[in-house]
Amino acid sequence: MNSRLTAPERMTRLLAVIPWVVQRQGAPLDEIVARFDYPRSQLVEDLTQVVFFVGVHPFTPDSMIEVDISDDEVQISYADWFSRPLRLTPGEGARLLTAGHSLLGGQFSLQDDNEEAGPLLRALTKLSMVLGEAADQAVEVSLGDAGAETLAPLRSAVGRQEQVEVEYYTYWRDELTRRIVEPSRVFSDNGNWYLDAWCHRAGARRVFRVDRIRSVRLTGADVEHLPTDAAEIFTADREDPRVVLRLDPDSAWVVEQYPVESVETDDDGSVTVSMAVTAVAWLERLMLRLGPSAEIIAIDAPLSPDLASEAAHRVLERYR
Amino acid sequence: MDKLERLLNLTAALLDADRVLSADELRRRIGGYPEAKGAFRRTFERDKEDLRSMGIPLRVESVAGSDPPIDGYRILRSEYAGRDLRLEPDELAALHLATSIVRLDGGETGLRKLGGASSSVEADEVGHVPFDDNLATLIAAAAQRRAVGFRYGGVSREVEPWRLSFSRGHWYLAGWDRLRDAQRLFRTDRIAGAVDLLDEATRPVGTPTDPRGLRGWELGDQPPVTVRVAVDEDQAAYLHHLLGEGSEPPDGSGVVSFEVRDLGRFRSFILTFLDHAEVLEPQEVRDDVVSWLEALT
Repeated sequence: MNSRLTAPERMTRLLAVIPWVVQRQGAPLDEIVARFDYPRSQLVEDLTQVVFFVGVHPFTPDSMIEVDISDDEVQISYADWFSRPLRLTPGEGARLLTAGHSLLGGQFSLQDDNEEAGPLLRALTKLSMVLGEAADQAVEVSLGDAGAETLAPLRSAVGRQEQVEVEYYTYWRDELTRRIVEPSRVFSDNGNWYLDAWCHRAGARRVFRVDRIRSVRLTGADVEHLPTDAAEIFTADREDPRVVLRLDPDSAWVVEQYPVESVETDDDGSVTVSMAVTAVAWLERLMLRLGPSAEIIAIDAPLSPDLASEAAHRVLERYR
Repeated sequence: MDKLERLLNLTAALLDADRVLSADELRRRIGGYPEAKGAFRRTFERDKEDLRSMGIPLRVESVAGSDPPIDGYRILRSEYAGRDLRLEPDELAALHLATSIVRLDGGETGLRKLGGASSSVEADEVGHVPFDDNLATLIAAAAQRRAVGFRYGGVSREVEPWRLSFSRGHWYLAGWDRLRDAQRLFRTDRIAGAVDLLDEATRPVGTPTDPRGLRGWELGDQPPVTVRVAVDEDQAAYLHHLLGEGSEPPDGSGVVSFEVRDLGRFRSFILTFLDHAEVLEPQEVRDDVVSWLEALT
């Protein structure tokens, strides 16, 4: 961390550092730096030029904190007021509990043995006892629907840098395909597992939804393309036609859930968005779902400006 | 004087006090505050805000015997310090691992207060889970068995929270809805405004509805309606994908039944099949889809 810490940021760190050092009757400077994410020079300055002068009225030596740094070992004494760490705020407690349960529910094999689950379960039990009588049942997290039978071979392929063959269902085009991919990362975002991989079929980096992968087969072949920067979850081709939609305020959620390229909000709360159309069926589905609360303002050829009404006619044929 | 030094001295003075101290008393005891009255007030107000933002429980009470009443301040040690979790090093490292690989939106995790990051842990982030203040309040309420109040679907609710579940990109609150006197499931991102903590929960924790497998059209206050839909055979894979594990594949007839509590959401769902699906019955739902589509032609 290079940016300078603010006074409250330094203070929250000190209120955690002081009891920690006091409790173990001294600690190496470097360990404090690493553990509390405290830049070394700032830490030394704060301990010797600030904490050393902290105390209570009348600020006689016996009413002030004593700090000693020698041989890179920190000793703190007479810090009675700060001898215990500040309690967890409700937000901090809830976040710790959630992070812990995310790891528990993430279907990790945790490096072949179950070693991590033991300490994590013990830690969560202790944490729950502090947070409330019903805390152990209060949170449940699923990072994605994909099963261990898909996640495990993909994770091991990432670790071994091995190509895999997957059977993949493409939602946009509604088709099942078989392809060789070179996995570089498996990650979860917003409740779905994704695979970041070089795809031989596309000849490019692609991100796949793991729950749409029907089968995984390890090929034994080494990867040929090394991962570079993270790929975008949604990759539109530059040639894809674009559509501009005007959305009523109650349909503005589209901005959050769809890959929009530009957004403009009007005075009346309606929103104008521009999107790439990767498949016609995808835009038809969206337009039928939005109904009268959305309107096509502009659309690239070969897509029809009457796409929504044409799709509606086609569906209505079935009902006649 | 450094602002950090003043804030630490202020906190020490407030923790050391055996009664509430007025702002003037604090100014005399601490030093480092501006002399001018207005400048002192502004600085003191900012300091109080800073302490609160750090989660320091600052108490405000009237100074005894003051008339008109003067605000006095102190920090109770029992409220300041948390209970010691007595975490073993491997337990702290496991929590550190969890906070390293799962990113939650906004805010601190408080790991430092428990002893900070363990240097033995090195892990890349593998997941992101949305998080906000309402969720923190709801989790704290479920943990401490407190009721909450919030606005949802344009109506004020009083709920005794049981469990918060994150599934398929959404957080769900399962709990007892006091006003409806029934168990309910809520999407927390549809809560309007802030969640308020209310009194203690009175009912025992029940078995929370599992949101996994629950669909948008199954959430809602409308009485359930059984809707039968004809789905083309070649859509079986898509349907299976949408409904997930455990969904019944269409039998030979290609007719699927749904329990629907929210017709608007169900219509949205069924239209994603375009012309590959058709609502058969009941007639009202069929008519609703037809008139929705006719409005678009």
